[in-house]
Amino acid sequence: PQIKDVDEEIKVRKKRAPNPKLDDNLLLSSNGLPRLRRIAKSKLKFRGKGHECSDIGRLLNTYQLWLDDLYPKAKFKDALAMVEKLGHSKRMQVTRKAWIDATKPNRRDDSP
Amino acid sequence: MELWEKSETVDPEVRAYVYSLVNVVGGSSAYDDTYSIGDDALAALNDILRWLRLYDEKLNRYDVKRCLAEANLVQGDLLEILALWPETATDNKLRGKLALACIQLLVPLTWPLDLEDEKATVNHHRHLPYLQLAQVGYKRAVLHYEHAAILRTAVRVALPSMTQPRRERSKRDEGIIKLVMYLFRNVAMITQPQMLPSQGDENEISRSSTIDVFHEQDVLNLLLTIGSGASDDFQDEDVVLLEILFHLLKGIDPKKLFMHDEQVQHHEADELRMLMQKERDMHKSYRKHAPSRHNRFGTMLWVKRGDEKLSTVTGQTSITNGDATLQIMDASKKWNKPKHHGKHAGLEELRQADFCQRIDLTETARKHLRSFVEDFLDSGFNPLFSGLRKAIASEADRISPTHQRHYFYLISWFLAAERARRTATTFTPPPTSAGEESTYAYIAAVLDDHTFALISRSMQRYLDEKSWLDLHTTLLAFTSILLTVHDMSESPDEEDQEIAENIQNRIFYHEATHDRIVQILRSYNNQGLPYLDAVTECVHVFVRMLERYSKQNAELQIQSKRRARKKARKAGVMPNEDDQEADNEDAREAQLTATERRFDFARFSSKLLTQPCLNTFLALLQYHADLTPEQLKRCHRYLYRLAFKHDLAILLFRVDILLLLHKLVKGPGGLSTESPAFQDWDTLVRQVFRRCVRWMEKETEGEGWKEMCVVEMLFSKIPASVYYLQNGIERTVERR
Repeated sequence: PQIKDVDEEIKVRKKRAPNPKLDDNLLLSSNGLPRLRRIAKSKLKFRGKGHECSDIGRLLNTYQLWLDDLYPKAKFKDALAMVEKLGHSKRMQVTRKAWIDATKPNRRDDSP
Repeated sequence: MELWEKSETVDPEVRAYVYSLVNVVGGSSAYDDTYSIGDDALAALNDILRWLRLYDEKLNRYDVKRCLAEANLVQGDLLEILALWPETATDNKLRGKLALACIQLLVPLTWPLDLEDEKATVNHHRHLPYLQLAQVGYKRAVLHYEHAAILRTAVRVALPSMTQPRRERSKRDEGIIKLVMYLFRNVAMITQPQMLPSQGDENEISRSSTIDVFHEQDVLNLLLTIGSGASDDFQDEDVVLLEILFHLLKGIDPKKLFMHDEQVQHHEADELRMLMQKERDMHKSYRKHAPSRHNRFGTMLWVKRGDEKLSTVTGQTSITNGDATLQIMDASKKWNKPKHHGKHAGLEELRQADFCQRIDLTETARKHLRSFVEDFLDSGFNPLFSGLRKAIASEADRISPTHQRHYFYLISWFLAAERARRTATTFTPPPTSAGEESTYAYIAAVLDDHTFALISRSMQRYLDEKSWLDLHTTLLAFTSILLTVHDMSESPDEEDQEIAENIQNRIFYHEATHDRIVQILRSYNNQGLPYLDAVTECVHVFVRMLERYSKQNAELQIQSKRRARKKARKAGVMPNEDDQEADNEDAREAQLTATERRFDFARFSSKLLTQPCLNTFLALLQYHADLTPEQLKRCHRYLYRLAFKHDLAILLFRVDILLLLHKLVKGPGGLSTESPAFQDWDTLVRQVFRRCVRWMEKETEGEGWKEMCVVEMLFSKIPASVYYLQNGIERTVERR
């Protein structure tokens, strides 16, 4: 290769900003599952008997909007598949287990 | 380059040699239509054959074949010569020799061409399309030659050799029989290649016309003869016969074959009605959301979301319908999740598995084929299939992997045909000479232990090797056997019942089979709809059969015991004893086995109700728009069993599954509300939804149940936590 003019200014190409990835970091960030839990606690209400379909419909919409905020790029179905896959990682399993255990009434007694 | 132009890429010298040979064979007269055979025609034909062998085959090229196709040897010479051997001149030695030489050339020229990845050269790729089209032309010419029946002439060539008993046949005789059989196979096999321009003659080479010609020119009779002699006189021809049968029968619906004409018309009318209904539903669901004004009306909408955020959506449908708004928001996203390609090599091959393609027959072809199939079942089925089974089991040289695939496919096909014959017509089996023989004797060759063992073994091997196409055919065969056994157990004949019971016994207590079925169901991974259909059908039939078997009341078992005792006494094996006491004994034993079986079935059934198995059924349900009512029913039964009989609805509480179910009942593009299955699905889905809501609102002592549910619904459940999630309490393990 030819040696170019040494004095020529070296052009630094600006690196492209990496695309955000839908991974467990994002999923566990404050915008991720914790936010979903907050939504569930404060906003998610069911009308109960006789309104099953509309209840589940609204539940699905809630998920859709949440995922749209979290990872706007992907379509709902795709995002769901991606999130489901993340659930198989060790870290997610531990976190989920902790959340499940938190609902148990007297967990002090279980693990002395 | 124009497709029909002479190829520039063949060595001119080769072309010159081949052309000169073709010229020597003979020629048509210029002033009338007669054909005169050249003086050295026989030698020329043999020379051409030598060229094919020593140039094409040795150097692995298609050059000579290409030249022969361009020189129009088949239509211009071979068929003319064959036509000059009239049926009255059977003892004309020279003509007979010439006819044989023609057939010797026809076979390699019509031989299926395929591109094997390792062996294919540039030369092959260059000539293949031309040759494939030429073969289509050959087939058309052979089938519809106007002056003589070419295939009948071929049969006549083989007859002298066939009449000799097998021991006295020379190598040459065997060769001639096989040659003629291969000609029939090639003719049956050639179809218009999908990727190439058609000459507009699909009808002339279609399956129907092939069957019609085979019938008219006595080829079907020859096949029957060979089939019925497959166990003694024609042992070595069995694989060729298998191939011919496969290429004749693949894709044809056996049920339709045995319907009356009116029934077929009725069936087709129903089908048309169903399709039109489907189309109407599609339009309806589209109209529901279609804009009511022109497309530049320009509605724009804000969607207020939490956190002071707004989204914009355009289009009028979104004004009134909140769900539609969200759907439009979703549909406007450009990015798609990348799909994995190439992980499953051979997936393409699987998609185009040739036996999955549906073939419709004309009325005459259907009639001819039906009588052929009936005759074949009565005479040729047992000898052929038992011979093949032995050959496969002993790994004979003449058996290739494709033959095994054909073997399993044809088992399933013929068993289905036999079932169709029994149900469609008021079929009464002709009285057998032995009198004691079962009415299922015609298909007994594939219902014995050996075949069952072979199928099990092959299934396991294909599963381990991940060769899905082969596994597919074994699944079809296995399902078909199960269905036949089921029919047998309901036959009025006691003998049949007993055999069926024995087979069921064997399957029921064979744990390896259960595990294999479960394993196959779990291992579904994107192999396409036909495979998915075969897997789920097999599981469905298997489970239903075991369930019925495990529920079989004690009464039936007592009956069968009594029967066995009576028989033994008749044979003088057992001494006469007090019947009453024996009956009591039987009743006790029957009670015991009944409970035991119930337990065994529950155990098996729970193996099937796991997340991976559920995923496979859901994969089938994803195709709901294309499924038949029967397939939908299959999914419904499985989900019902899972959610309500075994109380595992928790596995369904996953957002993507709920989304699918919601779409089925409510969403755009769901099930048609007028379809008969809709009511069932509506009830099921509502029940699941109700349980889901109740589950999320469960009152628990601890904190954060609902939050936990919302998160868990995103994922497949961890097996260890399923019990707790479902019941809200830990499983109490009893300690001693």
